[in-house]
Amino acid sequence: MLGFIYRLQAAGIPVSIQYVLELYKALQRGLAADLDQLFLLARLIFVKRVEHLDVFEQVFASFFLGRPPGSRLPNWEELLADKPFEEWLRQQLETGQIDLNTIREFDHEELLRRFRETLLAQRGEHHGGHTWVGTGGRSPFGHGGREGGGVRVYGRGLYGTAQRVIDRRNYLNYRDRSLLSAENLRQVLASLKSLRPVGPPTELDVDETIAQTARNGGEIELVFRRELRNRTHLKVLLDNGGYSMTPYLALVKTVFNHIHDLFRDVTFYYFHNCIYGEVYLDPPRTQPVVWDKFLGDSRYSRLLIIGDANMAPAELMAAYGSLGRATTERKPGREWLQDLKQAYPVSVWLNPITKARWDYESPTIRMIQQIFQMEDLTLGGIKQAVAYLNLRGLAFERS
Amino acid sequence: MHFEGTDRYYLNPELREIVNLAIALEKPLLLMGEAGTGKTRLAFEVARSLGLKMEEARCKSTFKGEELCYVYDTVLRLNDSRFGSGETGRNVNNIWDYLSFGPIGRAFLADDRRILLLDEIDKTDSDTQDNLLDVLEERSFIIREINHKVAARHAPILIITSNAKRELSDPFLRRCFCHHIPFPPPEEMTLIVRLHFPELDAGFVEACLTSFYRLREQGFEKPPATAELLDWLGALKVSGAGGPGAGRELRHAGTLLKRAQDILKFRGVHRRDRF
Repeated sequence: MLGFIYRLQAAGIPVSIQYVLELYKALQRGLAADLDQLFLLARLIFVKRVEHLDVFEQVFASFFLGRPPGSRLPNWEELLADKPFEEWLRQQLETGQIDLNTIREFDHEELLRRFRETLLAQRGEHHGGHTWVGTGGRSPFGHGGREGGGVRVYGRGLYGTAQRVIDRRNYLNYRDRSLLSAENLRQVLASLKSLRPVGPPTELDVDETIAQTARNGGEIELVFRRELRNRTHLKVLLDNGGYSMTPYLALVKTVFNHIHDLFRDVTFYYFHNCIYGEVYLDPPRTQPVVWDKFLGDSRYSRLLIIGDANMAPAELMAAYGSLGRATTERKPGREWLQDLKQAYPVSVWLNPITKARWDYESPTIRMIQQIFQMEDLTLGGIKQAVAYLNLRGLAFERS
Repeated sequence: MHFEGTDRYYLNPELREIVNLAIALEKPLLLMGEAGTGKTRLAFEVARSLGLKMEEARCKSTFKGEELCYVYDTVLRLNDSRFGSGETGRNVNNIWDYLSFGPIGRAFLADDRRILLLDEIDKTDSDTQDNLLDVLEERSFIIREINHKVAARHAPILIITSNAKRELSDPFLRRCFCHHIPFPPPEEMTLIVRLHFPELDAGFVEACLTSFYRLREQGFEKPPATAELLDWLGALKVSGAGGPGAGRELRHAGTLLKRAQDILKFRGVHRRDRF
């Protein structure tokens, strides 16, 4: 039975000790008389979200019925953002099998082919699970990617900035459930508050009522006030384009999910690298939001920008710097960002790159820091960001 | 204590097992799924089948959680202290005369085991949900005004429903048994219909179900669900129609489609022709 539980965990279903105890308690009481009942019981205990249902059924079938794990279609985006690939690439670079200059000449097909070859060659060491190995060379990355030094595959962008990371449909969907759990994060985010009186005055102000009644010579004078409720309106801008964000995918996913679960009044917008008067409602960036509309109605909103602030300096400073190949946008990115800051006085930029490395990573980080308060995407950084937002918000709402 | 279906409610065998497991292990049962799939109905049927009394709490977005446990009527007490409680028998010096209990309080204080239904929990704030679960897990709450602890005499059987309009938080999910009620397939639906309208002709029912499932597939904003289907069949029966009608001539389509947009789409009115 424990083997089954570990298999579940390995398949990505969050398992807590409490669940295991529950399961054993139920087994002890004879609540799983046959396989069907065991299936239901285990499902009730372990599956808390619909998304996990499918995986659970597969694991159950393979463990108890001996069926081979179903072959699911590989997700190339995840693969490229995935650890094995990253490690492989690092290893290859270190051992000199691929050197930095040739890597820029490769396109994805080529890189993936080499990756697969390595994996197949050392298959003995890989204990199953990599179902995507050998599923053929279908690549979703249809672009040639050689322009201006190649598409940045080796994520962190340590080797200079790809001039144009172009494929517009090449996006990362942060909304996918992440397996990382960060319990404390939830508490930190929950402290982001904006208490505001709402609705008609219905709450009895007991202290004031007593004071007024006493002043009134004992004639009861009821005093009502409006209720204070947390009405934080949160807008989140996510950089979901390009490979520079790829290494931080898991991290951003976690934060995204927590924000999503926690706030009732939250809207997500997406942008690519830098903002040029347009943000998008959907991850593939097909539904633009009119800039004026985005800026309007902003005084009481809190704005979180999540992005690595790592771009070509030209994107920020130069006219026509936008990554869109046929851009007609003259205004440099910096001015757009300044407009944004002006419209959203209560805003913070969250950077997945750790604070200590900001100066090395990119000069643009510092430039953006001059516009936005910037914190990194660690628990501490988010704590500070939330504190900053609360403080700014308070000061701003009083004025 | 074992729950079986009732004469008025078709119970999927899987769901029956799940309800019984939740009762046996004393875990809250969280039911999710489309509106109109009988989530709330199930709680009533469990109560009826087990012969237990039920306390329902229909959640509203303004709930803070405490009012489901108890309400302290300050205004009434102030009023009584000024004008006297008169014939009512209330004693201004006794706070208990001014406390009234909500569904959770009543379920805790009852002398028998009760079913406690928290309907549409997803309407409330996530703070409220967490507070509620603390109360329900510890089976006690404190009346703040007098620091008095109310503990449950019998653990209520807890059924929670959610339309999943918004995701529930992880700690919340962790404490519940979660079950997603899928939409019943045609075979099951036939059984459900048979329970409600035993007198209807089998061929007639089949024709209606065919139109119904076809309608569901058309991607309406609010696809018709079981509750709508039963309404529709009722309407067809009362009006004495010989069949469901076809295409746009579907009889009593208003009972199946509720949203104006869906109805317009069904009638084939294009967006720009509306004005």
